[in-house]
Amino acid sequence: MKKIAIIIALACGCGLVQAQDNYFFVNWDINTPMTNTNWIGSTSTRGIRAGYRAIIGPQRRFSAGLDVGWATFSEYKPTQTFQQEAGAITTDYFNYIYQLSFAASGQYYFHKSANERFFSYVGMGLGANQNKYTVFYNIYKDQHAAWGFLARPEAGILLRISTRKRIGLMAAVHYDYSTSKSNDYNYSSFSAVGVSVGIMSMQW
Amino acid sequence: MKKNFFLLALVAGLAWACEPTPDNMKLLDQLVVQTHYDTEVNFTDYATYSISTDTIGFISNANPNDTILTEHDTPGYPRPVLTQVGTNLNKVGYTRVEKNANPDLGINVYVVNDYNLFQQVVYPSYYYPSYYGYYGSYYNYPYINTYAQNTGALVVEIVDLKNIGADKKVRVLWTAYMGDVYSTIDLVQQSLDAIDQAFHQSPYIGR
Repeated sequence: MKKIAIIIALACGCGLVQAQDNYFFVNWDINTPMTNTNWIGSTSTRGIRAGYRAIIGPQRRFSAGLDVGWATFSEYKPTQTFQQEAGAITTDYFNYIYQLSFAASGQYYFHKSANERFFSYVGMGLGANQNKYTVFYNIYKDQHAAWGFLARPEAGILLRISTRKRIGLMAAVHYDYSTSKSNDYNYSSFSAVGVSVGIMSMQW
Repeated sequence: MKKNFFLLALVAGLAWACEPTPDNMKLLDQLVVQTHYDTEVNFTDYATYSISTDTIGFISNANPNDTILTEHDTPGYPRPVLTQVGTNLNKVGYTRVEKNANPDLGINVYVVNDYNLFQQVVYPSYYYPSYYGYYGSYYNYPYINTYAQNTGALVVEIVDLKNIGADKKVRVLWTAYMGDVYSTIDLVQQSLDAIDQAFHQSPYIGR
């Protein structure tokens, strides 16, 4: 009985989602780290963000959804000698951060009419992310993976290509703050500023 | 059609962003050089050393029967490596003598295969149960914590032959680990550069 109730609830939920206006997007995400930039300060162009957002209300003022993102930060460090207690180690190396993020997000849209082709919005995403802080030197690799709470304020624009087509372009700027911490690599937290551009599929 | 387009964009993006690794040519063009020394030793107390001319040791998990690499077996590697070690020792004021001329220092040079040396705890100082004779005695060496296949390091050691204990044990004064020698762009040149670097980052060695 309980199972049947859950199935009915899920079916109703899916129906509601399908019935609602919504959009799905895939963005190329470019990020610049803001913390511990001595370790990695270079802008990352290896990022992708995808998400689903359901429009709430006939005025299309609000939406809520889920974002998932991947990004890789990297920086080459020329040969250095590190002094140790009774010796030293010399190597060149690469610092990497592999980042995976999940966020539940909400947006507010600025527009005069619900049927416009152009929307600007501000939003906030809250979730979790994992940073894998990694050092490559020769064939060797050291890595520390850490999960953290993620907060992501964001502002962006949506542009529907034409009123007849359900496809559009999207651009956004966002600031990511994560509590992902690594004592090994001197990160008490991680933050980055990002720009993302991409395409979206709209259902309205 | 539109779904396929989005799926393709997603997959392409994932492949691009997921976990790319550094360029191997850049990673492998020089060896990692780690040196360690006995801080209680004054290297100016020693004057002479002895080193083999064309044979270096070889320790391997993959082939435990191989214990030496000779110039005959692996031409172009043991002799230049040993010469480079000697050149650096001469440069800092030590004099090379024959093995039977009571050298103050003994020099061990060997390649370790399939042990991940850089993952090991480095001991402050340690002793061999015996020295000189055959490289098989190195099996008593205090590592083997992490196993990694097809890896290897060139190891140079300076041992104290001037103060051999009553139990005939000798003390290791300095060790240089240089790796990986199984994944190089130019094995010989990178090994020679690594040996120079090992001495360069050890300014306490010399008279």
